[in-house]
Amino acid sequence: MPYLSQAVAKPYFIAAITLFLVQTVFGLIIGLQYVVGDFLFPTIPFNVARLVHTNLLIIWLLFGFMGAAYYMVPEEAEKELYSPKLAIILFWIFLITSILTILSYVLVPYATLADITNNHFFPTMGREFLEYPTIIKIILFVVMVGFVYNIGITILRGRKTVINLILLTGLTATTVLFMLAFYNPTNPILAKYFWSWIIHLWVECVWVFVMSAILAFVLVKITGIAREYIDKWLYVIVAFALVSGIIGTGHNYFWIGTPSYWQWWGSIFSIFEPFPFFIMTVLAFNMLNSRRQQCLNKAATIWALGTPLMAFLGAGVLGFLHALAPINYYTHGTQITAAHSHLSFYGAYVMIILTIISYAMPMLRGLMANSKTSQMVEIWSFWLMTVSMVFIALFLTAAGILQVYLQRATDTPLSFMVVQNQLALFYWLREIAGIIFLIGLVTYIVSFFVVGKEEKDITR
Amino acid sequence: MSQEGVVQKPASIPGYILAVVAESLYLINLLVLPGLAFLVLAWLYLKYENKYESLSPLAGCHLRQTFSASIWAGLLLILVVWVIFMAGGVNAPYTWVIVILYFTICHFTLVFLGIVGLVKALAGEKFHYPIIGPTS
Repeated sequence: MPYLSQAVAKPYFIAAITLFLVQTVFGLIIGLQYVVGDFLFPTIPFNVARLVHTNLLIIWLLFGFMGAAYYMVPEEAEKELYSPKLAIILFWIFLITSILTILSYVLVPYATLADITNNHFFPTMGREFLEYPTIIKIILFVVMVGFVYNIGITILRGRKTVINLILLTGLTATTVLFMLAFYNPTNPILAKYFWSWIIHLWVECVWVFVMSAILAFVLVKITGIAREYIDKWLYVIVAFALVSGIIGTGHNYFWIGTPSYWQWWGSIFSIFEPFPFFIMTVLAFNMLNSRRQQCLNKAATIWALGTPLMAFLGAGVLGFLHALAPINYYTHGTQITAAHSHLSFYGAYVMIILTIISYAMPMLRGLMANSKTSQMVEIWSFWLMTVSMVFIALFLTAAGILQVYLQRATDTPLSFMVVQNQLALFYWLREIAGIIFLIGLVTYIVSFFVVGKEEKDITR
Repeated sequence: MSQEGVVQKPASIPGYILAVVAESLYLINLLVLPGLAFLVLAWLYLKYENKYESLSPLAGCHLRQTFSASIWAGLLLILVVWVIFMAGGVNAPYTWVIVILYFTICHFTLVFLGIVGLVKALAGEKFHYPIIGPTS
């Protein structure tokens, strides 16, 4: 670890993984509630568990991105972080706020939470993924601005690499787009537009910037290949992400009351959305195939290879499967959407954070790489999590296809709840895959505490 | 931790461009222009069929592999799906479940093999498609 201030990334990584664990547990609770409806009722009803599951996802991914940026930026800029103290202060503010938010979801009815946080003065609550009370949104926004300011000044004062600038662009755009969360029009169509411009422009456009920058950073470090080689590919990836992401987001406007031309624009540009992930996959495999050095950290290498591949499958293939308007007419809002969102979030954003943690955490602990034993445990966690998530997506896809057929495509459609009963087998299978995923995540965490006898040999 | 080096450029290997074009056409056939890209690949294959030795072992290998793999891909993605529909019936919901899951997994696997093939071609190396590529 060449710069001392990179150490501020460590608490962010620890918080991210801890919250990821909680998110997974809540995911299992929801999964079980699909088939055992009164499980944990009324203590944690389905709507609350789902709220926690989806909101925690956004929160811990932001923790992960911040940790990644605090680790990467000083090394890329060849300069200590502008203010490590600010980073630590923002960390505690963000962590305490996040914990309070999640606790309030579980302990207080949502309507009461809206009342006691005076949502009626400045109403922003009630939108999926953005259910946080207004005051929490304000705090989160302040944290994001402080974070972007901190890394932005560091970059401006130091070396400006393509990786750093793309990372900064992605994170600045994330912050700017979050401002739209404070505008909640009463017209539901307008409200959906603005909601899409936060969540969907994040995941389909600007977070692709962040992902590609982190992946490029790790690939340069573990392969030793010249950054000039990866830089030109980064430009191509970013160009595709911009062109396909901004207008391709139109596939989320199909059935919300928008003009019908969006069915054309959304469909056509969605065709190009898998391309950035495809290019990243080719790039990662090509760099590994042509690497100039053997990397001690095999676990990080596997994560770096798996990330673009799973993103291509989850975000690209499963996304395109139902992004065309004539297909989406039948599939929107079904379990096919859930399948796509699970594998795309995992493949694109969860895995990239696990990749950078896998690469950076040993350095942050004063090692070149974890011991072989530790890495073997971590590689097991990679396979457990990745394979089980693929199965979660496949079981949900199967459930979704059946749901579409029984509820929408047949001449004698069944009602929603009747169809849900027909899908129970797939929900049970999904739950089993989810338990294996949890085991994989616990294995991942355990891997950092496994000390092999050879660890002292690779200590710096 | 690492010393950043210089990437080796294997473009000087005879047949490098044709090898990369063949692998690209295989992927384009699967992802963007099904059928049309295969026709171009078939034309290249037939044009250079008897000239492999003079052409280059690299280009010959990738042309043979991608042409064969593309035919297998067509059979796996079209013929097998047709057989499943014939066996299960278009109006049976589980037929759709099987067909869509099969198509997704099969298509992704074929694309993944194509990515590996393209990476090998870019590195100036030969590649043998497992099961669907000719052994000779």
